[in-house]
Amino acid sequence: MAKRTITRRDFLKAASVAPLAASFVPALKSGTPGHPASGAEKARVVLVRDPGALRADGTPDPDVVRRMLDEAVSAITGETDALAGWKTFIRPEDIVGIKSNVWRFIPTTPEVEQVLKGRVMDTGVAEDRIGIDDRGVLRNPVFQQATALINARPARTHNWSGVGSLIKNYITFVPRPAEWHGDTCADLAKIWYLPEVKGKTRLNILSVLTPQFHGVGPHSFSKEYVWEYKGFIVSRDPVAADVIGLRILEAKRREFFGEDRPLQPTPHHVFLADTRHGLGVSSEDRIELVRIGWSENILI
Amino acid sequence: MAQDTTADAPDLAVLVPSDVSGWNATEVEVFDPETIFDYINGAGEVYRSYNFRRVLARRFEKPGAPDLVVDLFDMGSPVDALGVFTHDLEGEDASVGQGSTYKGGLLSFWKDRYFASIYAEAENEESRAAVLDLGRRIASAIPDEAPRPAIMDVLPEKGLDTATVRLFRTHHVLNYHFFVADGNLLDLGPDTSAVLGSYPDGLRILAIAYPSADAALEAFQKFREIYMPDASDAGIARTEDGRTTALRSSGRGLVVVFGAASESDAAERAAESLSNFERSGF
Repeated sequence: MAKRTITRRDFLKAASVAPLAASFVPALKSGTPGHPASGAEKARVVLVRDPGALRADGTPDPDVVRRMLDEAVSAITGETDALAGWKTFIRPEDIVGIKSNVWRFIPTTPEVEQVLKGRVMDTGVAEDRIGIDDRGVLRNPVFQQATALINARPARTHNWSGVGSLIKNYITFVPRPAEWHGDTCADLAKIWYLPEVKGKTRLNILSVLTPQFHGVGPHSFSKEYVWEYKGFIVSRDPVAADVIGLRILEAKRREFFGEDRPLQPTPHHVFLADTRHGLGVSSEDRIELVRIGWSENILI
Repeated sequence: MAQDTTADAPDLAVLVPSDVSGWNATEVEVFDPETIFDYINGAGEVYRSYNFRRVLARRFEKPGAPDLVVDLFDMGSPVDALGVFTHDLEGEDASVGQGSTYKGGLLSFWKDRYFASIYAEAENEESRAAVLDLGRRIASAIPDEAPRPAIMDVLPEKGLDTATVRLFRTHHVLNYHFFVADGNLLDLGPDTSAVLGSYPDGLRILAIAYPSADAALEAFQKFREIYMPDASDAGIARTEDGRTTALRSSGRGLVVVFGAASESDAAERAAESLSNFERSGF
C-alpha cells in the first residue's frame, strides 16, 4: 500500500482530537465519571448478538434481550450468575434512572426499557425508585434524586454530531441542548461532569438491534439505511462502547457503499471525550472487545 | 443576514393540501429556530445554519398505507432554500419546484424561499406516486420562482461536477462537505454565502461572497496566515501531498482552490472564479 501523506487538512483535523489537547483541560481529567480504564488496564466492551433478538414484527423479544444483557453483564463483571453481576452495578438502596432515547424512528424501545427495569428490580430496588425517561429527565423526580444511572440508546448516524452516541444521550440533562451543539457537538462529554450525572453511570448499553448507518432528509432517517444487526454493545465505559459502535457503522457503510465513505460530520466528539475530557478510552489498543453469540456478518 | 420577510410570507399551511390520493392530513405543527430541536433533535442545527424561519410539519394518513410526512421550511430567502437543498443531494431529479431529488420514498425540493421534504414511511408504488403528487401540489401553491442565486455562477464551469455543488453559510457545513479546519478560518457566518464544487482528480474550489470588501480582505489575511503561511506572494502554496492550493480575493469575493495539479492550474482557476465574481455583480 502506498504511504499516505499527511496534509495540513489532515493535521488540522487530527490536532483537534490529539492527546495533547487533553493537557489544556487538566481539571476534567479527574473524576472519570464513565469509569474508564485507568493506566494500562483495558476498557472491556461486550458485543453480544443473537439471531432471535427481534420478533417477526421487528420489535425486540424481551426474553432474548434479557438473556443477552445477562450474558453481557456476566462478561463485564466476571460473575457467572448474571444477577450477581447486576448487583455489582446496582444496590437495593439506589434510586435508578434508566436514561432512554425516544427518537421516534429508532427508539431504545419499551421492550428493552422494561427488561432493564426488571433486572434493576431483581437487584432489590423498589419499583417506585426506578425511572425511565429521555427528554423529561430534568423534571423527573426519580432522575432528580437518582444515585445510579443506566444509559441505554440505539446506535445511529446523526447529521450534526456524526453519530448518536452514548455520550450524546446525556444531552437532555442540560436545559438548553442547543448550547452544546458547537463544533458539531465536540464537547458533549463535559455534560458527564455536571452534578446531575457525574459519577452516577453504572452501565452503558448501546443498542445495535437495528442500527442506522446513513441518514438522509430533515429527520436524517431512511429505512434503506437501517439493518437488523441484533446486538448490544455493553460497557462501563461509554467512550469505548461508542468507539465499537462507530466501527460497526463504518464497516457497514463500507459494505453498503462499496467504498470508504467517512461519516459526515466527523464524530469527533467521541474521541474528544477521551483526549480532551478524560471520560473514557477511545484508543482501540486499550479496548478489550469480548464477542458473545451470533457471529454472522459481525463486521468487527 | 438576509432580510427577514417572514411577516410578508404566505401562511405555510396554505401551501400544503389537506389530502392527496386518499391520504388525509392530520394535525399541523409549526416549529421555529428555538423549538426545532423538539421535532428533529440536533439535526435542526443544519436548518439553523441556513437561517431558517419556520417549518410546518404535517402527517398524512391512509388506512392500510404508510404515513406520509411533509416538512415545509420557510428559509427566509432563496439562497438559504437552495442552500439547504444542496446539503443533501442524494437521489434522482424529480422535476419538482426549482430543483429536486427523490430517493427511497424521500422527495426534497426547493422553490423561492421554501424547502420541502416529503417522506413516505414505507416506499411502494402507491406511496411514491402520492409523495410526488404532494410535492408537485405544494410547489404549484408557491406563487413565485426565485432567480438563481448569483453565487451559483461563480465556480468555473469547465470540469465542474454540478451534482457536488454545495451552497452554505457556515464553516460547520463547509467541514461537513470538505474538512478544512476546525476553526472558522474564513470568517464564514450568517452574512456570507459560499459555494463549494468538485472537479476531476480531487480538485475543489471554494468561493465565498462577503458583505464587504473589508470583510473579504480580513478573511483572506487570516486564512493565509494560519492555513498557508508558506504561500508565495501570488497566494499559492504547495501542500504536503504535492498538490497546490491557491488563495485569492478581490472586492467582496474570496476563492480557495484546493488540490490543483500545478501552480498554473490553481492560478488560472482562481482567476476565473474571481472574474466570475465580478461578472455576477459581487
